[in-house]
Amino acid sequence: MLQNWLRRSILVFVLIALMLAPIASAQDAHPLAGRTIDMAILGIGGWLPSSLGASMANDLFRPYAQENFGYTVNFTFAESPFESLFQRAAASLATRSNEFNIIISDSQWLGAFAEPGWIVDIDELIANGIPSMGIDPQPALDLELYSKVARDTYQVYPDGTDEIWGLPQEGDVIVLYVRKDLLLDPEERAAFEGEYGFAMPETFEDFEALTMEQFEQMAAFFTRPDQDLYGTIMQHSRVYDFQTMYLYPFMWSNGGQIWNPETREVWGVLNSQVNADAMIWNRRMLDYQPPGAVNAGIAENVDAYTQGKVFSAFQWAAVGLSMVEDPELRANTLIVPPPGFMQEDGSISRIYSMGGQPWVVNAFNTPEQMRVAVDFLNWWYLPETQLEFARRGGNPVVASVVNDPGFNDINPWNRAYAYMLTDGRALDFWHEPNYSEMLAVQQEGFTAFASGQVNDPMNTLNWIACRQQAILYDNLRSEIAPPAECDSITLN
Amino acid sequence: MQAESTERIAYAAPRTRGLMRGRAFLVRLLNDIRVFPALLLIPVLIFFILWNVIPTLWMIGLSFYKYSLMSPNERFLGLRNYNDILNDVQVWASLGRTFVWVFAGVSIQTALGFLLGLLFWGSRDMPGRRIALTMLFAPMIITPIAAGAFFQLIYEPTFGVVNWVVRQFGGNVNLLGDTNLAFGAVLFVDIWMWTPFMILITLAALGSVPKAELEAAEVDRLPWLQRFRHIILPNAKFILMLGILLRTIDSFKTLDLIYLMTRGGPGNTTDLIALLLRRQAFEALEFGWASALALILLLTAIAFTSIYLYILNLSSKRQEA
Repeated sequence: MLQNWLRRSILVFVLIALMLAPIASAQDAHPLAGRTIDMAILGIGGWLPSSLGASMANDLFRPYAQENFGYTVNFTFAESPFESLFQRAAASLATRSNEFNIIISDSQWLGAFAEPGWIVDIDELIANGIPSMGIDPQPALDLELYSKVARDTYQVYPDGTDEIWGLPQEGDVIVLYVRKDLLLDPEERAAFEGEYGFAMPETFEDFEALTMEQFEQMAAFFTRPDQDLYGTIMQHSRVYDFQTMYLYPFMWSNGGQIWNPETREVWGVLNSQVNADAMIWNRRMLDYQPPGAVNAGIAENVDAYTQGKVFSAFQWAAVGLSMVEDPELRANTLIVPPPGFMQEDGSISRIYSMGGQPWVVNAFNTPEQMRVAVDFLNWWYLPETQLEFARRGGNPVVASVVNDPGFNDINPWNRAYAYMLTDGRALDFWHEPNYSEMLAVQQEGFTAFASGQVNDPMNTLNWIACRQQAILYDNLRSEIAPPAECDSITLN
Repeated sequence: MQAESTERIAYAAPRTRGLMRGRAFLVRLLNDIRVFPALLLIPVLIFFILWNVIPTLWMIGLSFYKYSLMSPNERFLGLRNYNDILNDVQVWASLGRTFVWVFAGVSIQTALGFLLGLLFWGSRDMPGRRIALTMLFAPMIITPIAAGAFFQLIYEPTFGVVNWVVRQFGGNVNLLGDTNLAFGAVLFVDIWMWTPFMILITLAALGSVPKAELEAAEVDRLPWLQRFRHIILPNAKFILMLGILLRTIDSFKTLDLIYLMTRGGPGNTTDLIALLLRRQAFEALEFGWASALALILLLTAIAFTSIYLYILNLSSKRQEA
């Protein structure tokens, strides 16, 4: 009897010991076990996806790290508005500071951060780890993303190569938010059909077939200044890249290009008739937008839609939560792909701008910070973390999560988001080290035209192309110098 | 006294003797009329060298290079940055806009400030004078960012109060979105903010007019215009000119208000030179080019100051003659 009891006790003890052993050994094995590490994430101020990353780091990764690795980590979130985040990050990294350990970068900054060696080469991290810091290879970070365009946008630098420098933090694309009470109102529908000879789209599938010409008629129909109602709202502000992001779809979808990424030739590519026509069309859309839309950015766009001033809004999927925060508005909103552009062969092309941001890892992190950063990123891409990110309003990019059958039902914009994140429907622009300088030039030119300060689109494109070509040439990024005629081209 | 202290040192214990010698040396140093003022200047000189001289020299050096945070390999360009700037139409356009901004802004602020200052100068017994002055000075105390934010809302075309009033008369106005109106709309905010400063300067200037001369003019029944021309203006002009000089330099550097309200837009209609400089330095991170422009602007500001001072000196010499 006693022997049996003793035998049973020993067996139970051995089993418990065996169960606990892996946990204990894992905790012992982790070099930071028992330590407390402070980490800082730099992200976009007032931008939900950025703050979600940081809040999830503290809410979820902190206990996860405690349980699995045995260390305590405290994340702080430093933030700057879109237009000044790059300066803040670049100034800090240029001084080789580890003030920010993980940075939520905009996709176009990858080149600017990678070229001077400020951020960790993710290819290297995946293949070889960081031996000098005792960090092993990280094959789990070799992610399968939902589309090639997502990989090219959030990970790759230089353009056209397979080198990766970033990991997707948040995917984003432009989608169309439409008010159902106006769209589905039988009287409105009948009046519209009577006036324009075709029925307004009703479903997601109908909107897939909608062209910009047709949408323009819908926008004109709902533009009723006497009722303080306008057809739509886009973004035309000079701040950061707002006007650029909403003009490119008119160019790309109609076959226009902004440069040749191989030769870095801007002159002769950007200043094309297709692009000039696109600028005219983009400016014409202001006729259906509320007064002041020429200065509208993301926030003004959200305000116009949530205050019921517009029938529809071209807006980022990432701000879906702000756009339909009110349950009543959420129920009254249809979120669909933005209109396509009719091609000569009768097909519809829609190529909109990519938004979203990658994470980049500061190359000047201490070994402890680097290890935590790697642990955090491995955790971030676990399917359950990515699904939780989506449940909180974020937009994951990992293929397995976006392809999950339940993904489209998590948020009302998810279906349109996944639709637009597909190859051929969205594009990103230059990942050049001189990105911000090139952007500042075209923002000046594009907004000068959109606001009516200048009225010759081709001259505006010539002026931008000259200056961008000069920037690339002066910085030894292109062997093609701006042509001599650039000397006589002025914006005004 | 020195002999007494030397005597005391001679009788003291060796350790105390050393301390006393040190003390005596310090006393001698502090009593030296050539050394003492220099000693007082040392802290401020260190501060000045650290924060003004070294950065300025550094900036001058950078202006001869192609130096960008994005490409760590700087290249010596000689005077090319200066050449590029002087041949850049956008720089000239921006500079032209800035001169209009400075000239229009400072002129209106000075005229309004002077008139209001005169009004308050002659109304010491006016009921509510203190409250009126406090309210009048309030815009000057508000930070430009806050003032810009207020006026952005006031000018907002869909719910702003300005457009609401215009709509009552059947019109519609988009002050910050209209290329013809944006510059004037932002300039108005600058004038609203800084006119009180010129009122303050005017009151200070008028306060410096000798009472005896004014009383004599009163006794002689000198017409007001003559009093203004021969007594008030000659006595008040130095302080007034100082106010104008300060406003000119400050106005030339305007950045915050425009940055918040229009970012230089629509198009580039409100793009002042400080905004262009900021964009090149902190958005494009082209520090070489931006340093060259900053140096040109610094020299321009020094030229302004010199012209003012020259005019002031010239008129005071004429007066003395």
